[in-house]
Amino acid sequence: MDHTQELTKALSELKRITGVTLEVPDTGEEVDIENTLSQIRCLCTAYKEKYNKADFLYGLMTGGIPAYDIHGRAARLHISPEERRVLYLLEARNIDDTVHEILKNLFPAQTKTYLVPVTDHSIAVLRPLREGETGQDSRRIARTIVDTLNTEALAQVQIAYSFVIDSLTDLPEAFQETGLALRVGKLFYSDQTVFPYNELGIGRLIYQLPIPLCENFLREIFGPDIPDSFDEDTLGTVNRFFQNNLNIAETSRQLHMHRNTLIYRLEQIEKRTGLDIRLFEDAMTFKIAIMVLNYLQTERNL
Amino acid sequence: MASLSLEGIQKIYPNGFHAVKDFNLEIEDKEFIIFVGPSGCGKSTTLRMIAGLEDISGGTLKIDGKVMNDVEPKDRDIAMVFQNYALYPHMTVYDNMAFGLKLRKVPKDEIDKKVREAARILDLDKLLDRKPKALSGGQRQRVAMGRAIVRNPKVFLMDEPLSNLDAKLRVQMRIEISKLHENLGATIIYVTHDQTEAMTLGTRIVVMKDGVVQQVDTPQNLYNTPCNLFVAGFIGSPQMNFMDALCNVKGDDVTLTVGEYALKVPASKKKALIDGGYDGKTVVLGIRPEDVHDSEAFISNSPDSIIKSTIKVYELLGAEVFLYFDVEGTQMTARVNPRTTLRTGDKAVFALDMEKVHVFDKETELTITN
Repeated sequence: MDHTQELTKALSELKRITGVTLEVPDTGEEVDIENTLSQIRCLCTAYKEKYNKADFLYGLMTGGIPAYDIHGRAARLHISPEERRVLYLLEARNIDDTVHEILKNLFPAQTKTYLVPVTDHSIAVLRPLREGETGQDSRRIARTIVDTLNTEALAQVQIAYSFVIDSLTDLPEAFQETGLALRVGKLFYSDQTVFPYNELGIGRLIYQLPIPLCENFLREIFGPDIPDSFDEDTLGTVNRFFQNNLNIAETSRQLHMHRNTLIYRLEQIEKRTGLDIRLFEDAMTFKIAIMVLNYLQTERNL
Repeated sequence: MASLSLEGIQKIYPNGFHAVKDFNLEIEDKEFIIFVGPSGCGKSTTLRMIAGLEDISGGTLKIDGKVMNDVEPKDRDIAMVFQNYALYPHMTVYDNMAFGLKLRKVPKDEIDKKVREAARILDLDKLLDRKPKALSGGQRQRVAMGRAIVRNPKVFLMDEPLSNLDAKLRVQMRIEISKLHENLGATIIYVTHDQTEAMTLGTRIVVMKDGVVQQVDTPQNLYNTPCNLFVAGFIGSPQMNFMDALCNVKGDDVTLTVGEYALKVPASKKKALIDGGYDGKTVVLGIRPEDVHDSEAFISNSPDSIIKSTIKVYELLGAEVFLYFDVEGTQMTARVNPRTTLRTGDKAVFALDMEKVHVFDKETELTITN
């Protein structure tokens, strides 16, 4: 790209962000293009910092804005610092213009909901609570976002939401909590699409354990040769057995399997792990071990 | 419109949860197929796999003969209607319906034509300038349908679209959807947990449980000839009565004994019990509430299928009466004529229509005879 093209691009970016049209007059004198470009870019950044709400909120969420500066900058951007809000963090394969447009129209400007792009795959939605809204409403709204994006953009979406925040100063914590909910939800509850911050169950606990501790735990159960995973048949059988509250008759019926075959499979697991999963205590240990195994595998794949 | 083929479709989530197992189904062009089953049975997951909103773990999905497993959702030519539909609050009905097309950069005049046509079909022509807050629940739902119709897709996928409506509105919308199917001649796949919705809307119904297809059949056949205990209990409201019964074969006679009552099995149902070697075994006897009679004429003609009990609850529904009573510790329901004189606390005699009785294997829960 030559300098003239770069200059044109920078000027149109400036116009897009600020609405201000600048021209470089042709005075016959030689223009210091590098310097001009640098000044335009600085102008864009300064404008963004001062006037772009999404930029401000992103900075705030990621801990880039000091506490003493929050109220002042929020006031300049006409964002009420003290208002009850919920932060939603949604992830899709690709957050494209269609997704943006749908969210913008689902939460029009007058609702004072802010859309904050986080990465190419995720976007945060900071929405004020209406009077009388409860946690159940937050779930309903999350569900509506997912269903609307599924319907209109035909996009696979997963979403997590935070606790109710009373002030913008709580936003960094809410962002961390919501990000954690999304990661834990995707890892341990992959059959679901909505992950409330306060319904992560044992997944949250495992996710926050140090990896060496997880490995020690697995070694205790499986011995020195920790398996990468269990075969699909074994996992399917065990999952169904757990879903049926350790009921052999019901599990064998559902799996169209003779009860002796099921008992044989369970005994094979006992042989391998020492855990008789027909007993509650051992079943619980095995369930946790499988979750830890999944967690470690995902961590290794990242 | 389109035909669909699902061959051995499976869904296994990364956490090991096997949500759908070996799902096989051929859907003809213009069929109205219902996926029905209790919560967590895999019906929505199957629908989402068809839409491309969930990856398919195994098997093949074809639309009009083309394999769709790895085709992007937007390229599958489908439209979806969900339970938690949201209309854009600041847009008119017209704009709400046009929005999806605008995003796809469809020319304005084409959008206009499609929106007006969909509005005509849905009887929304006079509401096109209204905002969502000025619409009733049913009208909003019709707008949500309109957004799907304007896309003119090959297949409509609906996931419990009426669940958020009240009972009266649901009945109305059921009729609307039925009419819509006729008008559009569309292939529709509809997910519900409500068996009444399934029975009234579908040309065929797929009953699912625990990720496994239990039976695929017409509503009438599902009702009359369920293939197992689950389908028999799931389809029909009030649900089928079930009692454990001991099967006795004596020469040519077969009886099912429930406590002190020996119920004679008619000739048409004997063979399956004799051939299946059920003599001396406990089976499950099933009978629909409407096949439990309290009329004197029926009772006197059916001396071999009499049961006696005391009425626990009398429920008048206008055109019919439900009587609840216990037989050998099992609660039963009879659906009888509202002119019945029986009331709560009365001692009653009933006769079962043994020609309509269903018998199930107690262990496998499969139907022995319908």
